Amino acid sequence: MSKRILVIEDQEDNRQILRDLLTNADFEVIEAEDGEAGLAAAAAHRPDLILMDIQLPILDGYEATRRLKANAALRTIPVIVVTSYALGGDADKARAAGCDAYISKPYSPRQLLAKVREYLSTSVPTR
Amino acid sequence: MLGVPLLREGTLIGVMGLARPVVKPFSTKQIELAATFADQAVIAIENVRLFSEVQTRTEELARSVEELRALGEVSQAVNSTLDLETVLTTIVAKAVQLSGTEAGAIYTFDEKTEKFELSSTSGMDAALIAAIRERDIRIGTPGIGQAAANRAPVQIPDVRNEPSELLDVVVRAGFRALLCIPLLGANRIVGALVVRRRTPGEFPQSTVDLLETFADQSVLAIQNARLFREIEEKGRQLQEASRHKSQFLANMSHELRTPLNAILGYTELILDSIYGEPTDKMRTVLERLESNGRHLLGLINDVLDLSKIEAGQLALSLDDYSLSDVVHGVVSAVEPLAAEKRLAFKAEVSSDLPTGHGDGRRLSQVLLNLVGNAIKFTDKGEVAIRSWAANGAFTVAVCDTGPGIAVADQAKIFEEFQQADSSITRKKGGTGLGLSIAKRIIEMHGGRLWVESEPGKGSTFYFTLPMRVEAQAGPS
Repeated sequence: MSKRILVIEDQEDNRQILRDLLTNADFEVIEAEDGEAGLAAAAAHRPDLILMDIQLPILDGYEATRRLKANAALRTIPVIVVTSYALGGDADKARAAGCDAYISKPYSPRQLLAKVREYLSTSVPTR
Repeated sequence: MLGVPLLREGTLIGVMGLARPVVKPFSTKQIELAATFADQAVIAIENVRLFSEVQTRTEELARSVEELRALGEVSQAVNSTLDLETVLTTIVAKAVQLSGTEAGAIYTFDEKTEKFELSSTSGMDAALIAAIRERDIRIGTPGIGQAAANRAPVQIPDVRNEPSELLDVVVRAGFRALLCIPLLGANRIVGALVVRRRTPGEFPQSTVDLLETFADQSVLAIQNARLFREIEEKGRQLQEASRHKSQFLANMSHELRTPLNAILGYTELILDSIYGEPTDKMRTVLERLESNGRHLLGLINDVLDLSKIEAGQLALSLDDYSLSDVVHGVVSAVEPLAAEKRLAFKAEVSSDLPTGHGDGRRLSQVLLNLVGNAIKFTDKGEVAIRSWAANGAFTVAVCDTGPGIAVADQAKIFEEFQQADSSITRKKGGTGLGLSIAKRIIEMHGGRLWVESEPGKGSTFYFTLPMRVEAQAGPS
């Protein structure tokens, strides 16, 4: 059974890259375009891992991560936050929000895939 | 009657006359006696004259000393403080004191409204100040306006003889005599200095001369203050413009990077055969696409770093780090590059380096830049990293056997977009920003980065920084 990854990202190009990368690596990909839809998708689909962008409409990545980690049913899902290089202190803010790991843009798809695999192999299965 | 001349060194200064009612010639003895008295009188008169002369000289001297001291205080005030208010108040107070008057004021001339504005006062009560402020004083107005129009001092020995709307105010306040000195710049009217006395009468030329000196000092003070204000304002505008520029660059870099991320991302996916196996030809082109994209990304990142440093937005993330880890991290990143150029590459790190406190990631960036440059510019020989700790500071040296840098170019390489030889930019790549950023990052750690080099003898770049950096140093 392939693992399910929720990609919360508002930019179509980035979503497509992640979709192509992860699908090719035999993951099941579900997508959300804003923080609120992301939370709903997490609750509905119970993914094995979440890739969270920071600059999102409606609810930003920090707040979405905080709410996920405050939800007893969802807090065990590993969250990898994708921070932007441009904004200093993002890594600290991401950690403070409770994410499990962060990767900063610009990321290499290859490195991102390695990080996803690392967290999926160590995480407690949720299903 | 007997008359005896009073002679001082042969000059007649008086006559002593003796008379008696008896008709009889004076004897020689009497005449001699009278002459002796006359001599005594001359000495007595001379003593008194000398005494009063000494007294006058002493008074003059005391006044000169006082004037000199006052002038000294005034010029010191002019030179030591840029607070115009303080300077002008000092000048007015001294002018009043030394001119033997009871009140005085300095007016500044506003070129826009063409009016004189009361600036500093001495010995004037609030009612008089308010009454004068209500009046419009222009060039030609009796008193100071007249002095300004004539470009020369004007004195009014008795104000009651020259009635005018403005002067009536002064008369009502109990003043009788005025002396007005214009404050003149090179080719403009700067203002006026006035002193007022309660008794009527002419002012002596010495007072006029003295106040003219004070007026010159006032002009200097006013012009200094004006220039200072202008410079300050210009500086503020420049700072603002620079901040806007940096903010613009920061936004721009961010916006440029977003599409570039997509370009690089897709390229990598194609190279990883996610969309099918590319042909060798396609692969070669894609690799070029990728390396150009990475170069562009490097440029954008460097511009962003630099603009953040300039805008004071680059915050060091201070934490414990191991210098040895920093060095080894950089070594493993660049070892393949050195191997590709068949360069000997070594790193010597003291085994007992203490734990540092600073921004380890930024320090890696600095070292990576220095070592990357060394490898880039060295075609044969070796590149070596040495690091040690002494006196609470770390020092790292990056030594190469490259072409070396002429002394004349050594300062230039730390400036933005400068390489020692601009043709190198095309041959060797690089953004020309790395060293400038590296230097600033080290300075933000309170450290120093420099180069020692000689053409033909290789280069050694050094940086030294405190082992424990508790607070970020401001941008230089």
